[in-house]
Parts: sequence; structure tokens; C-alpha cells
Amino acid sequence: MTAALIALLFVQAIDSTSPRPGPRTIAIDDRLAADAGLKIGDRVVVASSPGGLGDTVVVGAIMHGRADPSEVARSEYRARMHLDQLQSLAGYGDRVDRFAIGTRSEPGADSALRAINSVAFGFRAHRSRDIAVETSRTFLVVSRFHRAIGVITIVASAIFLLCIMLLKVDERRRDIAALRLLGISNRSIIRGVMVESALVAVLGSAMGVALGWIASLIINWHYRGVYRTPLAFAVVTPGIVELAVALSLVLGLGAGLLAGRRLVGQPPLDLLTGRSESRRSSRAAA
Amino acid sequence: MLLRLVWSSLVRHRARTVLAVLGVAVSAAMLLDMVMLSSGMRASFKNLLLSRGFQIRLAPKGTLPFDTDATIGDATAVSSTLRAISGVATVSPVLGGQLYVTRGDRTTTTIALGIDPSVQGDYEIVAGRSPRSANELVASDDFLRATGTKLGDTLSAAAGFDPQLRAVTGRRALVLVGRAHFIYMAAAQNAVALPLQTLQQMRGEPARDRVSLFMVRAASNDRVDRVLAEIERALPRVTAISTETAMRQVDERLSYFRQLAVILGAVSLGVGFLLVTTLVTVSVNERLGEIIVMRAIGVARGRVVLQVLLESTAIMLVGAVAGLGLGLATARYLNSILASFPGLPAAIDFFLFEPRDAWTALGLLAVVGVLAGIYPSWRGASLPIAVTLREEAVA
Repeated sequence: MTAALIALLFVQAIDSTSPRPGPRTIAIDDRLAADAGLKIGDRVVVASSPGGLGDTVVVGAIMHGRADPSEVARSEYRARMHLDQLQSLAGYGDRVDRFAIGTRSEPGADSALRAINSVAFGFRAHRSRDIAVETSRTFLVVSRFHRAIGVITIVASAIFLLCIMLLKVDERRRDIAALRLLGISNRSIIRGVMVESALVAVLGSAMGVALGWIASLIINWHYRGVYRTPLAFAVVTPGIVELAVALSLVLGLGAGLLAGRRLVGQPPLDLLTGRSESRRSSRAAA
Repeated sequence: MLLRLVWSSLVRHRARTVLAVLGVAVSAAMLLDMVMLSSGMRASFKNLLLSRGFQIRLAPKGTLPFDTDATIGDATAVSSTLRAISGVATVSPVLGGQLYVTRGDRTTTTIALGIDPSVQGDYEIVAGRSPRSANELVASDDFLRATGTKLGDTLSAAAGFDPQLRAVTGRRALVLVGRAHFIYMAAAQNAVALPLQTLQQMRGEPARDRVSLFMVRAASNDRVDRVLAEIERALPRVTAISTETAMRQVDERLSYFRQLAVILGAVSLGVGFLLVTTLVTVSVNERLGEIIVMRAIGVARGRVVLQVLLESTAIMLVGAVAGLGLGLATARYLNSILASFPGLPAAIDFFLFEPRDAWTALGLLAVVGVLAGIYPSWRGASLPIAVTLREEAVA
């Protein structure tokens, strides 16, 4: 079982040759060490108010920042010290903010939770995973926002793909008219257009995956620097790649089907001579 | 004549043009949303901070208001020092804490603000009145719903628990005298406000003569910087934050959204550009014969360029106008997602529409429309007349 108390402290570096005997140690995070130029063995004064009376302590350890999403936008430095010393410094008395309790087994956690809450007064025991769910609500919101942006992107991509496929089949209307006059069935032509469209979509999504992977490297490099955290902000997982490829394949097939059906819906001679287009031009000019 | 030619060219392939306009509309919607996101959050936060006219906030050294549980000591002395500074019009102290309100066998936890009712800037009275005596409080609608109380009820509230004695601490009977809208609170947040001294007494020794922040109103906006400098000189143990500084700090924390807005806005413009360039280029390629005949009968090169540029700009502008409505609808939806951020004041909007945003999006799309037409128009205008005429005739 561990107890934790959180308080705001002020750290001031002092001359390391100070003769005070037996100071206790604290651990500080690497950002504080870098910004204040502190290293292991340095003596500092910690106080609960700026310039107030405090304790001299020795930097005993430097901690690397954790990849904790809930701390990503926070700029406070972190220091860990002995509980009794912090209680005394912060004037907190014999109080703590929380206890962390480890049990030997999963069922043990349930019974411990029930036992503690049955006698609790002024506090409550929670499962760690429930707390994790509660503290990750911010990221659920961000995740929902990203999904909504993703849906808009998919709509735009679908329209783009359909446009490109219409252009491609329009360009080849004479070839397709010739194929139809030779006796190739409408079904085969549609199938051919769909295969072509699917190939364009798969090739495009492969390039998109490569582009996304490069973008994720840039994003991680940038935001790790901005927020000084080892957290990964963008990750390209096999699941995401599968979803992206499957989605573009479906979109590609759909766009190919629409473009192909539009093409076979016109008489082959009109396609060959461009008569339908001439008619449209004349109507437009009129 | 020129406009008729542009119109004919656009309606010749209706499906293609409609799809292009749709594609641009989606891009324009995304662009408008991103322009709104990049500026809306800032504007909305500024409006919130200045809504009650307090331009300066004082928080414990090294913190932002209510960012930690830290408090400012010797509040009475600090308050006197602030009032003595020339240019300070109003000083409003605030202490934050939690209260546990018991009704029957149910206990409701609520955020409590200790304020000076005569100068407070945290709430607006919706019904009833502000507290006038020590044992009165006002509460939010959410609190009234959660506790099932109404104006005039007397509530039993405590400031803490003593687990060893199994007793509540700082218990008081408080009369509910007002229903209030709390300006800085998150949606669905239980909140009450009561006189500062009452809350300090209820919280006991740890809160004696302490506050979480001071809000300061300068006599005029142009004196804010001078007052801020004076406060920093007179009170080196607190952090004085002007509205501008607070906004800078919020900008830093929410820089992700601004950067996302810039990236997605640029991608939207890029997609719109590619779509229109591709369509207009293909359209020009299909009409090479037509264009070259026009050139051969004496139509100036500049007129051909202008026609193609007008086509691309028309697609962009029609798409943009359609996209503005779509953008407002999606912005509303996206805002409803981000509004559910835990702890975010209900008054903050991530997507705040200002007419300037629409003009910005429209202007950017018009520029991109012109840029998208440059390559195809150059291609159409630079064709050698005789060679192209022969090739087109053979084709």
C-alpha cells in the first residue's frame, strides 16, 4: 500500500557546498532538471511558498516523464519526496490525498473494495481501471472529434474518386464504344471499369499509408518536442491500414460501378461519334 | 458572350460539374470549420474572461486560476494592497472548495465559491437575490435539480469529513436565496456561492484568511498594463495574469487544435485545388479543337485564358457558397463534441462564427480557384494554331 500527497512546492537551487548535515533526498523530473540546470547530488531548498522557509534536500534521482496522456498539456514540474516531509512542509498534518492498494488477486480486489467502502467515511475506494476510464474522458472527446473529421474526409475522398473515375471513363468512351460494337457485354465492361477503379483506389491508399506513416513521424517528433513527453501522438497500426485500404477499395468499386453504368447506358454509336456530347453542347449553347 | 461560353462549357458535362461543385463544397465546409476553429476558441475565451469586466486575475505563484488547490495567504492584506494601487477600481476575492449538502439520507457534493457578493464576478442571478447575510447562498440549476431544493429552503452543508471521528466538519445551515448562472463553470456542474468569510470558517484553519484568486477590474482598459506592473511590484508572491496573458497560456495548452485547424484547412484547399485543376484540364483537353478554332478566327489569347480562369473560379465559388451552409452545420456538430470536454466552461465555443471567417474562407477559395485555372488556361492559350488545327482535324 502506498500513500500519496500532492502539493505545490517552490524549488530554489543553493550552493552545493552548504554545510547542513544529513539532508533528505528528492526525485525531480527531467524537465525541471534541464530548465533549472540541476543534477544528481545538487542541494536545493523546497518551500511551500515562494521565498518562504523550507527544507534543504538533495536531488537523489531524476525521473523521465511518463507517457501519460492526462499530463500532456500540463506544464508543471514534478518532484517526489518523502511523505512525512511533504506533510510537514505543506502544513497538511497527518493527511494524504489518496492511498494506492495492491491486492494479491483479482477477486481479492473486489472483496477489498467492498470491505473498504462498507466502513468508509469521507472517502471512497475505486478500482484503478474505473479511475483510468474517468481520467481518459478528455481523450474520448478528442477521439470522437477525430472520427467526425474522418467521416468528412471520407465523403470528400469519395466525391474526388467518383470525379476521377467519371473523367477516366469519359476519356475512353470511344474505346469502350468499339468494345461494345465488337460484342463485349455490358457486364464485362462494367467489371473492367470496376477493376480499374479498384486498382486506382488500392494504389492510392498504399501511397496514402506511406504518406500517413511519414506524417505520423513528423507529428510525433513535433508534439513530443512541444509537450516534452515520450507520448506517441499518431500511430499507424495494422488495423488502421486495413480499415483505410478496405474503405478505399469499397469506395473505388462503388465509383467504378457508377461510372461504368453511366457509360453503358448510352448507345455505342453515340459514344463513338460523340453525338450525345454534341447534343448537350447544342442545348447548352441554345 | 464570354460568360455564355463559360456557362456552355460547364453544363456540357453536368454530372462532372455537379460532382466538382460537391467536392469543392465539402472542402469549403472543412475550410470554414477550420478557420472558425483557429479563431473561435480564442475569441470565445476572451469574451468569457471579459464578460464581467475583470481584466486581471491573481493566482498563487506559478499557477493559473483554479489550476491547483494552492491558495493565496494573508488575503485581507493582499486585498488592501490591491485597493491602494492607483487605477484599481474593483477587487473581487474568490475561494474555491467543495461542500457536502445532506438532505435526508442523500449527500450531494458541489463546488462552492466563497465570494464578496457586492463585487463578485462569478455568477449572474437568474431568480431570487445574492446572499446578504453570512448564512445565505445561491446555487446553480444543476445543483437545485440534484438536491431537489428550491428558493427559501434551508440546507445542511459541511466542508469536509473527519474519518477518525466519523463526523462531518464545518457543518452549517444555509438558506438558499438565489438561483444563479455560473459563468465559468462546466455544463452539468453543481455549484453554489456563499459569502467568503462563511466558506473560510467552514473550511477551518487551512482556509483562514486565504483565497484561491483575486479578480481585479482596472478603472479603464488603457490602464491595465500599468496596474499589472504595479501589482507585480507590490505583490511578488502572487502571479498576476492579464486577459492577454491568460489567452496566451490557453493558446499554448490548446495549440493542438490551432495546428490541426491550419493543417486540415491547408489540406482542404489542396484537395479543392487538385479537383478543380484536374477537371478544368480535362475539360480544356476535350475542347482543344474548339479553342484552337476560336484562336484561328482571331479571338485573343487573353480571352481564352480568361474563359478558362472564369470556369475554374465559378466552380470554386459556387462550391464555396454551398459549402458555407454545410460548414455551419458541421461546425455545430463538431462543437457539440468538443463542448463535452470535462471541466470546460459551458460558455466556451470552439467553433465561433464571425462573418470575417466566411469572407476569409470565400477569399481563399476564390484565390485557389484562380490558381487552379492557371495551368489549363496556359495550356489552352499556348497551343500552336496550325499544328493543333491539323491534329484535331485528323483526329
